[in-house]
Amino acid sequence: MDKLMEILEEIVPDADFENCKSLIDDEILDSFAILSIVGEIEEEFGVRLTPAEIIPDNFNSAEALWKMIQRLRKSES
Amino acid sequence: MSLISMEFLIFVFAALAVYYLIPGRYQWIWLLGVSYVYYASSGLVYLIFIGYTTLVTYGAALLVSQGEGQAGEVKSMSAKGRRRALVLALLLVFGLLAVLKYTNFAIGNLNLLLHTEFRFQNFLLPLGISFYTFQSAGYIMDVYWKRCEPERNLFRFALFVSFFPQILQGPIGRYSRLARQFYEPHRFDSARIEKGALRILWGFFKKLVVAETAAVFVAAAFDEYQSYPGIALFGVLAYTAQLYGDFSGGMDVVIGVSVLFGIELDENFKRPFFAVSITDFWHRWHITLGTWMKDYLFYPLSLSRAMGRFKRFCKKVFGRTYGRVMPICVSNLVVFFAVGIWHGPAWKFIVYGLYNGLIIAFSGLMAKNYQKLKSVCHVNDRSKGWKIFQIIRTFVLVNISWFFDRADTIPQALAMMKNAVTCFSLGELLEVHVGTAGTTYTVLALLILAVGCGVVFAVSFVQEKGISIQNALAARPWMFKWAVYLLLLFSIPMLGQPPDSTGGFIYAQF
Repeated sequence: MDKLMEILEEIVPDADFENCKSLIDDEILDSFAILSIVGEIEEEFGVRLTPAEIIPDNFNSAEALWKMIQRLRKSES
Repeated sequence: MSLISMEFLIFVFAALAVYYLIPGRYQWIWLLGVSYVYYASSGLVYLIFIGYTTLVTYGAALLVSQGEGQAGEVKSMSAKGRRRALVLALLLVFGLLAVLKYTNFAIGNLNLLLHTEFRFQNFLLPLGISFYTFQSAGYIMDVYWKRCEPERNLFRFALFVSFFPQILQGPIGRYSRLARQFYEPHRFDSARIEKGALRILWGFFKKLVVAETAAVFVAAAFDEYQSYPGIALFGVLAYTAQLYGDFSGGMDVVIGVSVLFGIELDENFKRPFFAVSITDFWHRWHITLGTWMKDYLFYPLSLSRAMGRFKRFCKKVFGRTYGRVMPICVSNLVVFFAVGIWHGPAWKFIVYGLYNGLIIAFSGLMAKNYQKLKSVCHVNDRSKGWKIFQIIRTFVLVNISWFFDRADTIPQALAMMKNAVTCFSLGELLEVHVGTAGTTYTVLALLILAVGCGVVFAVSFVQEKGISIQNALAARPWMFKWAVYLLLLFSIPMLGQPPDSTGGFIYAQF
């Protein structure tokens, strides 16, 4: 989770990833930021994201992102 | 049957009367019948095309939804098979659109390039084909990605493709948002009727008072740009008013009519001229096309294996930060190429799309540098002044793009851009003839345009502050509310152009 927070804060320095639960709904993450995050997640955690995963439920908070990474790791292992 | 014609209003009234008289479980069947009658009124032959798209997407969605991983479900199709079915279905629906819309563009370019003499084809271009093709294609991809369940009843699905208010110019809907609304029973609700009717009136005001009045000056500035070089700047500003009034006014009518039937469509506009960047502008202008492109082209392309390889290459060559953003910029350019060509088969539309794409890509690439520059220059990017600067900057950039959108050719767009900054002669405006045979009311038309734009701006400004005009009106005494309604109602015939003198909606041609 720490590594994920590091990635998020590097890509969008101004956002409050600790508390915000509406990163997509409040348009804090735009499509450029989403794809940058996806690229870093794929590289760092060795998972592969498909367009089906790019939904607000998976990107609205750091916690939701972390859950998605865990799920993908499980299904790919 | 134009959305702003008396026939359309009578048609909606008749459809609505029956809709609320019949049992709720039959309402969707009635809507389907009404939608097909409406579409057939434009030309019976068009039914073949919409029928084709409906059947292909209906069948394909059932195919791509098969098997795959659901607990206890029989695997009837491999992942590869599902992907092939998806690709085939997309080729079939987009293939039809491509052949009908872009064949002559391809022939023209081939003839120019290879000095051949292929003959141009006289293909029919069914009304609204770009809109219902995109909506249907989005549905297949949603089913493929398991974002929604496929519809197993062909007739229910046919309503999703053909729902009459939105078929000619969108908004491009999502099945997951619309299905339940289409098929559940709706009871008559006077508050909802009032809400829908007010939205329709507002749409008529924007279209007939603002867009159609501006259209006369736009026609002079663009179609006769050599005779009126001094009003190029005014012409492009008037085109902003025309395009916004036309498209968003049309959307107000479409959304308002849908509300009468108890169906809430997605919004297509969110006060675009308050945008602080071109990216923000596309989050506010033709929103459903933008989100379609993002979900079904931008993300899949960016996440493709080929783009993954390109990303690794870019990281090696340009370093981590630029290497990460570079492939996203390339995908973004592809998307805006598609947005451009979606608007029409002409190079000027491609330039229009790429112009927007390049600005967004450049901003993405330079984001970190901008941050540094702002900090060096001590710019407070939360200040009101900075926001106003951003809004004006975006407005100027958007207006530059309109030259490509509205001019007939790229050289004309460039010549008009030059005139806009080098040649001012607002007196030429008074030479523009506005009026029917024997009458001229150019000055009055300019005044009406100014008042119309002022009213639209004031409403947008209030909405941008988060205030709902409808709720604000509802909170006032009924006499005040009805005075506003009547003022709006009577201003349309008094200030607006007569509906039968207008050339229809700009986006209905797409």
